[in-house]
Formats: sequence, structure tokens, C-alpha cells
Amino acid sequence: MLRIDPRVAVHAPCGHCPFPILHFRRSAVIRFDNVSKRYDTGHEALAELSFEIGAGEMAFVTGHSGAGKSTILKLIALQERATRGQIAVNGHDLARTGRRGIPQLRRGIGMVFQDHRLLLDRSVFDNVALPLVIAGTARDETAKRVRASLDKVGLLEREQALPLALSTGEQQRVGIARAIVAKPPLLIADEPTGNLDPQLAGEIMGLFGEFQRVGTTVLVASHDLPLIKRLGKRVLVLDHGRLIDDFRPLP
Amino acid sequence: MNRRKAQNRLKPALAPAASGASVARVRWNLRAWREQHRHSLTASLRRLAARPLATTLTLAVLALALTLPLLFWLLLDNARALGGTLEDAGALSAFLKPDRDVAAAQALAARWRERADIATVEVKTPEQGLEEFRSQSGFADALKVLHYNPLPAVLVITPRADAHEAGAALADELRRDPAVDLVQYDAQWRQRLSAILAAGSRAAGVLALLLALAALLVVGNTVRLDIQGRREEIAVMQLLGASDGFVRRPFLYTGFWYGVLAGGLSLAVTGLVEWTLAAPLAQLAASYDHRFGLHGLSLAGTLLVLGGSTALGWLGAWLTASRHIALGQPG
Repeated sequence: MLRIDPRVAVHAPCGHCPFPILHFRRSAVIRFDNVSKRYDTGHEALAELSFEIGAGEMAFVTGHSGAGKSTILKLIALQERATRGQIAVNGHDLARTGRRGIPQLRRGIGMVFQDHRLLLDRSVFDNVALPLVIAGTARDETAKRVRASLDKVGLLEREQALPLALSTGEQQRVGIARAIVAKPPLLIADEPTGNLDPQLAGEIMGLFGEFQRVGTTVLVASHDLPLIKRLGKRVLVLDHGRLIDDFRPLP
Repeated sequence: MNRRKAQNRLKPALAPAASGASVARVRWNLRAWREQHRHSLTASLRRLAARPLATTLTLAVLALALTLPLLFWLLLDNARALGGTLEDAGALSAFLKPDRDVAAAQALAARWRERADIATVEVKTPEQGLEEFRSQSGFADALKVLHYNPLPAVLVITPRADAHEAGAALADELRRDPAVDLVQYDAQWRQRLSAILAAGSRAAGVLALLLALAALLVVGNTVRLDIQGRREEIAVMQLLGASDGFVRRPFLYTGFWYGVLAGGLSLAVTGLVEWTLAAPLAQLAASYDHRFGLHGLSLAGTLLVLGGSTALGWLGAWLTASRHIALGQPG
């Protein structure tokens, strides 16, 4: 019987990769190797970017607007493909992940968006349940996990509300509950506090810190430097698509 | 235990035990499959119910497209059955000139019976003819007014050869006999009728094909609009890891429901038309004493219509959904 340390395991054998054992050797959840991204418009968003994010690590990506923060997150979730270079996420080699492999990749990534992207015609409960419905989880199990997830973000009593009946901060918390409900090994967030006042932003970032403490790898793109500094986590600083600083907190 | 582990396989935790994992996986896949289909089934029904007017209009168009060829086909089928109840097609009827009496008719019959190409000759006297006419034509009251019998003697001749050329040649020959006024040869018009029916069948087939294509386009277009209206929802679901199949499934079920409901509606409309026509046609049939009843669709036919319309709805949705959902995803 195989027992793997959760901090080393990138993800459980998924049954579709030719070399499942590789998943247990790599410790990086995200690995960028000389990655460049040039959009069809000719704009070069990323240039020869290399970095690794280990399992259970929490990191911020920051930089001026247009520095390439969002592009990194889009490449990780295969919303875009790299022009050059290698990217590995959760043990998936993204260059080798075809259209059919994208859903499997994304089910291992919890995504939080600046504009939360909730479905406005469905209740909070249904929104949070969506990743489980997509994965085909049984109904009673889904209900249990959705409530646990809503409880974690402090919105258990609002499960039947429609998203528009909630405040901006609450909407963002529903978005986070949706991102973590399927217990993905990796959580990525694109400017999750962009629309929030400093106090709410601090609360949201605190939530991400909690998820890291239970073993989830977290990558947050944000330009809120004061807040990032206060949290004392690893920070990748981008400038015009290049990595100019990789600040790691002292252990 | 395996089931629980399998559900949590995305968690960065202990890997499921190797033994029994595949069994758990199969069970998980089956359950997931069932859950997802249940979800899609109810979601698609909710979507239809959410826009009752649009759904009703689409259903009406689809049902119309199905009903037209169905009615046409039923008409043909009934006409074919009517043709089948008519008398033996091979027989010729030779109407003698009015001045020939029954004795002359018997003599002529005896002479013709000797011919090698004639099997039987039956004599119908004017009295028999009048009786038949009175009971079958519905003109009994009018006939009472007549003071004499205007009908001639008739010889009903069955040719020996089955080939209709022989019958036609015989008819020509009988026509030349000075005692014969008129020869009626049923096979000829029967042939014409069957040719008309065949042409009608073909026309019904072409019509059905064209209208099936129209139904396909209607479903396809409806699903396309539905997909466009749900672009954001589809994008979110794809970001959350929904496969193309998962995104497509509710739309396929939408097509399925359109097909089932339109098929049922068209059967109902067809039944209504049958019911409306049944009484006047029965009256007409009674007056001819033909006793032809209007017959509707058989159970097999009903199931075929339902199955066909369902398949059309599904196919229309599949063609559109597959094309449109693939857009907006990187290759």
C-alpha cells in the first residue's frame, strides 16, 4: 500500500497520465520554465519567465497593471497557451494537455476571479455546488461539502440567497467557497480584493492564508502591495513580463 | 472506504489504496454519470419552462413540420387500403347493348366460355344489376321513380392468364363484338391508381425529408440562441472543469424534450384531424356501402413518429451544440 506525504504528493494518480509515479517525485505544484507569451496582437505579455511554487506554498504575483500577472494565471488554467517554454501544473505538462485534458486540469485548480463570476440566476448554494455537480458528486455529499465550504467563508445562513442580494465582499466570499468546495490542491486568485475596501480585502487574504495552512497551494495575483507586505508571504514581482524580484520570507 | 477516497482524489492527501481502486473508480464513474444526467435532464426542463412562450412557439413549428407529412402519409395509406377493398382486379365487365335480352347474354356467355383464354363468365341480369345498384349506390329512392329497368345485362369475365397484357388484349377483342356496348377493365384504372399512390408516396417521402430538415434547423437555431444567451454560464462552467460533454448535455436534453413534445403534439393534432374527418367520411362511406373506415396510426407507427421526432431533436441540438461549445476554448 502506497502512502505519500501530503506535502510531497502533487495529486493522486489520475489514471490518464502515462507515468503516474512522476506525480510523487515532483514537489512543485507550479513550474514555469523559460515561458514566453505573445498575444496575437503582438503584445509580449511574458518573457522568459521561470519560477516554481512548491506544494503547500502561498505566493503573490505583483507588478504594475499589464505586467503579466493575469497572463500567468491564464496560462496555469490553460485559458491561454504559452508561445514558448514549459509549464507544469499539478503534474500536468501543459504543452501535452490537449483540449480533452483541460477539464481534468481545471478540476485540480480552484479559481477566484476579481469579478467573482457567479451565475446570477442561481442561488448561493447552487453556485458553490457547481464544481461538485461538474465532477458528478452524489447529492447528499454535495450538500454536506457545500455547507462546510460556506461555513468556512461565513455565509452558511445565506445559502438560498441570489448573488445579487449579497454585498460585494459576500459575493467574493461565495466565489472563494466555490473555488475550494472540490478541495483542489491549488488555489489561484486574480485580483480577488480589487473591488473591496481595505478591511474586507484583509479578511479575504486571511481566508487564503487559512487554506494554505491546511495544505492547499495558493497563488494570488494582486497589486495591493501594502496588504501583501503585511502578510509576509513569498512575492514574485513582474515588470513588463519579466520576473524582477522573487522575495521569500525568512523561515 | 474506497468510494470516499475516490471522491476526494483531488485533495492533496493520501492516495487511494491500489487494490480495489479500479472497482471504486468504475462505481464512481457510473454514479457520476447518473448524477450528471439527472442534473442535465432537470436543468433542460427548467430551461424550457423558464421561457414558456418561446418554447410553445418552437414546439408549434416543430409539430407542424411533423404533422404535415404524417397527415399526407395517412391519407395515402387510407387510399391504398380503399383500393385494396375493391373487387378482383383481373375481371372484365362487358355491358351488352340494351336491346340484347338475357337469353342472348346466356348464349354469348356460353360461346365465350369455350375460349381458351377465359376462365369464367358470369351473367348478371338487368334485375340483378338493379338490385345491386339499389343496395349499394344509395340511389334507392331515385330508382323507385323509374318505371322500367334501364340497366343492360352484364357479363363478368375472368381471364385465365394473370398477366394484365392478356386482359387488355381480351378487353380490346370483346369490344369488337357487335353485342357488346362497353367493356370495363378494372385492372387499367387500378394500375393508374397504384401509380398515383406510388407518386404520392414518393412526394410524401420528399416532403417528410424536407420538413425533417426544417425541424433539424429549427431545433439547431433554438439551441444556438440558447447557447449564445448562456455564453457567460458556459465560460464559467468550463473554467470550473466542465467537459464539453457536460456543457453540451443540457442542450442535448433540450433537443430531446423538443423532439418528444413536438412528436406528441403532432400525434395529438393528427388524432384530432382524424377525429374531425371520421364522421363525414363514415357518412360518405355508408352512402357507398363500402364500409371503409378511416384508419389511424398503428402502435408501431406511433412509436416510430415519437422515436423519429426525438432523434431529430437530439441530432439538431447535437450538431449545433458541438460546433458552438468548441468555440472559445484554446486548442
